[in-house]
Amino acid sequence: MRQQRVRRGTVTATSIIGIAAILLTGCSGGDDGGSEGGVKNLTFAASTFGDPGRGPLLTQWLDAFNSSQSEVRVTSAAVPYPTFGQTVLTQMGSGQGPDLIRFDMPEFESASDAGLIAPLDDLVDISKYTLLKQPDQFMVHDGVRHGVIFEASNYAMYYNADLIKTPPKTYDEFLNTAKSLTKGDVFGLAFRQTEAEEAGVWQDIFNYVYGFGGAWSDGKTLTINSPKNLEGLQKYKDLFDAKVIPRGADAATFRRMFAEGKVGMELNNGGYVAATRGQNPNLNFSVAPIPFPVRSQGAILAPIVINENSSNKEAAATFIKWALDPANQVKLQEILGASSVATVTERSPEKLKQTPFLTVFDELTESSLPQIVLGFEAKTPDIRKVVVQNVIASLQGKVDLKTALDQAQQQATELVR
Amino acid sequence: MTVLEQTKAPVPRPANRRRPSPLGSKWTPYLFLAPAALFILVFQAVPLAQEIYLSFTRTTLLNPTRSTWVGFDNYVRIFSDETFHKTLLTTFIYVVACVVGAVGSGLVIALLLNSGFRGRGVARALITVPWAAPGIAVALIATWMLNSQYGIVNRFLNAIGLGVPGGSILDSPRYALPAILVTTIWQLFPFTSVVLLSALQAVPQDLTEAAKVDGAGRWWTFRAVTWQVIKPAVGLLALLMTIWSLRRFELIWLMTKGGPVGATETLVIDLYSQAFDSKELGRAAAIGMVGVIISFIVITGSRLVARAAEKGDV
Amino acid sequence: MRGLRIGLTARILAVLVVLGLAVFPLYWMVVTALTSNADLFGEDAQLLPDFSEFGVFVDALAEGKAGGWLLNSLLIAVGTTILSVGLGIPLGYALSRFSFRGKAVMTLVLLFTQMLPEALMVVPLFSLFRRFELLDSLIGLVLVNSAFVLPIVALILKGAIDGIPRELEEAARVDGARPFKVLTRVNVPLIAPSIAATAVIAFFHAWNEYVFAVTFIFTPSKQPASVGIANFIGELGTPIQTIMAVAFMFTLPAVAFYLFAQKYVVAGMTAGAVKG
Repeated sequence: MRQQRVRRGTVTATSIIGIAAILLTGCSGGDDGGSEGGVKNLTFAASTFGDPGRGPLLTQWLDAFNSSQSEVRVTSAAVPYPTFGQTVLTQMGSGQGPDLIRFDMPEFESASDAGLIAPLDDLVDISKYTLLKQPDQFMVHDGVRHGVIFEASNYAMYYNADLIKTPPKTYDEFLNTAKSLTKGDVFGLAFRQTEAEEAGVWQDIFNYVYGFGGAWSDGKTLTINSPKNLEGLQKYKDLFDAKVIPRGADAATFRRMFAEGKVGMELNNGGYVAATRGQNPNLNFSVAPIPFPVRSQGAILAPIVINENSSNKEAAATFIKWALDPANQVKLQEILGASSVATVTERSPEKLKQTPFLTVFDELTESSLPQIVLGFEAKTPDIRKVVVQNVIASLQGKVDLKTALDQAQQQATELVR
Repeated sequence: MTVLEQTKAPVPRPANRRRPSPLGSKWTPYLFLAPAALFILVFQAVPLAQEIYLSFTRTTLLNPTRSTWVGFDNYVRIFSDETFHKTLLTTFIYVVACVVGAVGSGLVIALLLNSGFRGRGVARALITVPWAAPGIAVALIATWMLNSQYGIVNRFLNAIGLGVPGGSILDSPRYALPAILVTTIWQLFPFTSVVLLSALQAVPQDLTEAAKVDGAGRWWTFRAVTWQVIKPAVGLLALLMTIWSLRRFELIWLMTKGGPVGATETLVIDLYSQAFDSKELGRAAAIGMVGVIISFIVITGSRLVARAAEKGDV
Repeated sequence: MRGLRIGLTARILAVLVVLGLAVFPLYWMVVTALTSNADLFGEDAQLLPDFSEFGVFVDALAEGKAGGWLLNSLLIAVGTTILSVGLGIPLGYALSRFSFRGKAVMTLVLLFTQMLPEALMVVPLFSLFRRFELLDSLIGLVLVNSAFVLPIVALILKGAIDGIPRELEEAARVDGARPFKVLTRVNVPLIAPSIAATAVIAFFHAWNEYVFAVTFIFTPSKQPASVGIANFIGELGTPIQTIMAVAFMFTLPAVAFYLFAQKYVVAGMTAGAVKG
């Protein structure tokens, strides 16, 4: 009896542990760049795949690559936009992550600084392609190339052509147009001003800082509280105080408002042309350069990189080479809309007829800068947080702008020491 | 029906009636524990130990295996940081408000639903909807409802003349935290009201009837009878709500990310931000440890209080 | 007499208000999902859903992905429930009935684990998962969710078992039943309400879990709905109608599961609290 009892107990325990062991070992994900029967399966993480409009088109573009040859297959990785940077960087830091990644500049800088991105010089012969120089210079760190531009979207001024016959050409005209349009449920302008959209606010204020001749740093020291910065940000605050924007509205909301004709103007990047059209095909809108004294604005630069952890770097390079092929570049640009791609491309006459203001965006490429802090690139997220917090505090009236910027300068300098 | 009658246990009669030892073999307890204990050890204890270690280092998210030992530096840094004091205060307010709000509203609603009326089964079922709704869905709908232009909350407030200036609730330093609290309590009250409701049902009716017959006021009846019975449940809920609200992350992160100007930044938000935005795993771990220590103090404190209360009024 | 009637009306009114508050956001999800863009941004609020926009729901499902997400969520939630309750019952029993070395410590440790935020554990768990090759697998999520939920399941069940008189178990043991059999034949039926309650807690926890799911899953087809919804929050725009439609569909199964188990939950939650 007793022996039976002990045996049964032991058997139960052993089987539980046994099952646990089987579960743990027998269920590996098996997707670490695995290859089945010679085909290399790669993953490509890009928040663009989540766009209602461009996502499916981009997937089709990927499929064109997959069907063009049978050794490499690229599929989109599952990383949602809200936690994109955090998720991908955690995975990469811990030795995993997708094979190919489309990054935003701040994350690109952090990742390359930490050695998580594979140098491209040996994998892709860049000299074969005619790259757009201005954005491309940011792809190289200390002589080592870490990525090529996937998309470069310059900031310009979108305006509702029904509400505004002639777009403003100076800041004062800009302010007055905004004021005159704001009545009822219509606002003259819209921009991001909440901490929940910290990255967006940073992108928006970049235009004001550089458009008035300021800069976040001179390459060696931070210049957050320089007089030009103060001037530019004061203009930003003046617009906020003039109540010409829907306060508290997040970007998703006010962009829809723009599409519905409830917002007159907004400073936005080229990626939005397609999205706006998608939300309201009947909207009569156009684009003009930002009417600030200095022609210098931000651009969303999105490099495509190869993960240093990837066991299929060669295969990934094959994809990049395919992507840089002139015909595929043109196709990509058509999908992305008013953005530029890595190489110099020519837009087709039909596309230009459809969207005459495409040339406005293209012409801005020479004067556009990525929204990073030169000389402190990898620290951009930290600096950004400090600056945005202080600027918003000033918007909310808690502190005057000059003090806010001085505080930001001090806190940021502490941070990067 | 007594408990005994409820038992459906079959009574086996083995051939020889040898008296077995009361608890089986000496190893039985450990067999019962082993799988679960192993499990918890691997998935909670080991990472926790790692985190304790990390809190004494400077480590970056981008290279978690390379750590530089800095001793108590992280702790010194966070405690000498003024914003951290604010974070602690915000966390404290958040936790207290959650506990009081969730337990309080739960009690009121439980009392309401305790009386008999037609359709109370349906009411009790419907009341659980907020609890079942996933955090991300709640954050999305709450953010939309609080939208300064088109949110139904603002439209309603404006209609009854209580409009918030500019309509911005989630990005006003004054109203952001209350808004988050209301949303959190909305998520929690189903749980507390359900628990308290069943606790209320254990209150002996004859006692409350007797009190009423004797002319006792409602408040006195409540204090003397009802409250005594539901006290343990209230205590358990308060403890659970405290521990859980120290952990709540998704709602705040998705709605305000700790803004505006740190008005809704609790310990967990700060932790997440340190780990994934600033990529400082060491500092994040230190913040996490502070949170754990606080929870620990709360739990031990409450156990002591509970024990004292038991001795105080039997 | 009159006093009672006013009391009753007031009560019913209060209950309706409370119910309204509880259910309104869910209703609002449906309304928002079914309102056209033009109406959403109109001067007046649209209080009623516009059923002509029902295509939103159809599109969201037809995309094909939403169905897959919900299935993944279901697998993870059910798996977590079974594993955590399955391990929690013996653990709770051991904590209640046996005395052994380290029991007090164990109880404290269990309570302690409830204080650990997920955000804190993500990075160490990632390397752990990597070593055990649990990355990008639903099973991995089941394991980690269960680990987080198991302590509270065990503690609640311990409280429930505490409330069962030992005489019943004595009776069974006198007749030669081994402890495990005592457990299954005697205790489990008696604590069924508490088991149901812990099942609901485990299910909801796993159903809603986001942080681990988004970090440990790489393949789109394995994403649970909690992450899937986040996919709609795009860089370039959040189609709020689609999101609300998917969010609503994501809430329903959890509510359904609760309604199914709710008979027992009410009794189960307090069995431990009142007595224990």
